[in-house]
Amino acid sequence: MNFSGSILLVDDEAHIRKFMSLLLRHLGVTRIFEAHNGATAIEVYKAERPDMVMLDVNMPQMDGLETLRALKTIDPDCVVVMLTSLANRQTIDQAVALGAANYIRKDAPPEDIGRALADTIDTCFESDEGDADGPAPTP
Amino acid sequence: MDNPLPNPSIDLKGRRILAVDDDRINLKIIGGILRHEGYEIAEAASGEQALEVYASFQPNLVLLDVMMPGIDGFTTCRTLKRTYGDKCAPVIFVTAKSEAEDVVMGFDAGGVDYLAKPFRPKEVVARIRTHLSNQQLVEQQKHLVDQLSKANAAKDRFLGMCAHDLRNPLSSIRGLAELMDENAIGTLTDEQREIVQTIHGASQSMLQLVNELLDVATIEAGHLKLAKEPTGVVEMLERSVHLANIEAAKKSMRIEMVRLANDPVVEVDRNKIRQVVDNLINNAVKYSPRGSVITVIVHASESHAGFAVRDNGPGIPESERHKLFKDYGRLSAQPTGGEKSTGLGLAICRKIVEAHNGTIAVENIPGRGAEFVVSLPIHR
Repeated sequence: MNFSGSILLVDDEAHIRKFMSLLLRHLGVTRIFEAHNGATAIEVYKAERPDMVMLDVNMPQMDGLETLRALKTIDPDCVVVMLTSLANRQTIDQAVALGAANYIRKDAPPEDIGRALADTIDTCFESDEGDADGPAPTP
Repeated sequence: MDNPLPNPSIDLKGRRILAVDDDRINLKIIGGILRHEGYEIAEAASGEQALEVYASFQPNLVLLDVMMPGIDGFTTCRTLKRTYGDKCAPVIFVTAKSEAEDVVMGFDAGGVDYLAKPFRPKEVVARIRTHLSNQQLVEQQKHLVDQLSKANAAKDRFLGMCAHDLRNPLSSIRGLAELMDENAIGTLTDEQREIVQTIHGASQSMLQLVNELLDVATIEAGHLKLAKEPTGVVEMLERSVHLANIEAAKKSMRIEMVRLANDPVVEVDRNKIRQVVDNLINNAVKYSPRGSVITVIVHASESHAGFAVRDNGPGIPESERHKLFKDYGRLSAQPTGGEKSTGLGLAICRKIVEAHNGTIAVENIPGRGAEFVVSLPIHR
């Protein structure tokens, strides 16, 4: 995957973060940040300004939609891909209305997830690849 | 179940009977007989009073005199039936003249039985006991049906929740195994690869089972929502046939599609129908011998259109036919390439097709295999 930017991965479930981060590394993404809840995600976003956020919809306390709203307030241009477990049309529509760039089903095979990510990157970073050079990663 | 069932042995003591008669002596006689049997009695001296007492006393049975000043017994009965509907207690008419005409009028007014004056105590007791028992049995049955539907709904909810919560961890296990198999964390030894592939295969079949259980729970709970749009039958089949051909090639099989000159149009929820198409074609691949050809045939009539999937498998034994479209109806036939089966696939197909007002059926083709036919109403 042709992407040199950084990604913030937000999910309350450790196994999902493990799976997604391994998948991202396998796809060639080297700068990955992780957060296990909405509040931490916002802190990490402010500190690291990642190029893309992968955001779980169902989280306890601050859920995905609420976190998305907060992220968009901080940075209206931030690229957010929602992670869903079931394709809940209503939630997806709400997320898109709030400015989410795409959604990915967590139960899809790695191949499909990779393709959806690549599509999002093509659409969002096509013309301004320069923007994708974020700050230095934490390993 | 949260509520205990009513005592199944029929104990009628304490049941409430409303006796209505303008003749005080009659009320006294009948009250005496019934109290002696252990019933609780309320009395009313007129139709008007009966309606009042009924509301507060909520009797299990009404004994209603026909000839009364003011509103008579028949009118009182009709009013009760109109006010309380199905919940109204059974009404037994009490009449001095047990002429056929009177009796018929009583039944017309909604009475269940009649008693002739002068009373014969044994007859009164026996008839009342019969009606109270009937009523109690009906109540018990209603209660049971109610409890069972609640339990069934709870089961579906539980199944749905359970399946939902199992999906995420299962997806992670499957995904991690797949990534390891693709050397995402370095090259594996042969033994490590075999183990990783076993983990992948097992989690993949569990995920499929969980998804199918979720489908069943969703459909059973009546939450299957269809987003229907006009779709050509070939359009509906093409992608599935293409994808299945890749799998089939692994077993040296191929899938051919037989089209019509004009592609018929049906109204379907494309995602849901794709599930049906995929399932039928995958089944055909699963149960046909290596090297065979599977045919997918488009058909159309005046009112319906659809497709048939013809395989080269063992066919459906007559003795197992009834199990075919039922939940968990796994048959004796074995997949020819070691594939897995949950026994839910065809049941889900039937539910989806029926939700589209369509039909799904199977025929054996002598000496060749089975043919599954799906018919859907044509779009106009």
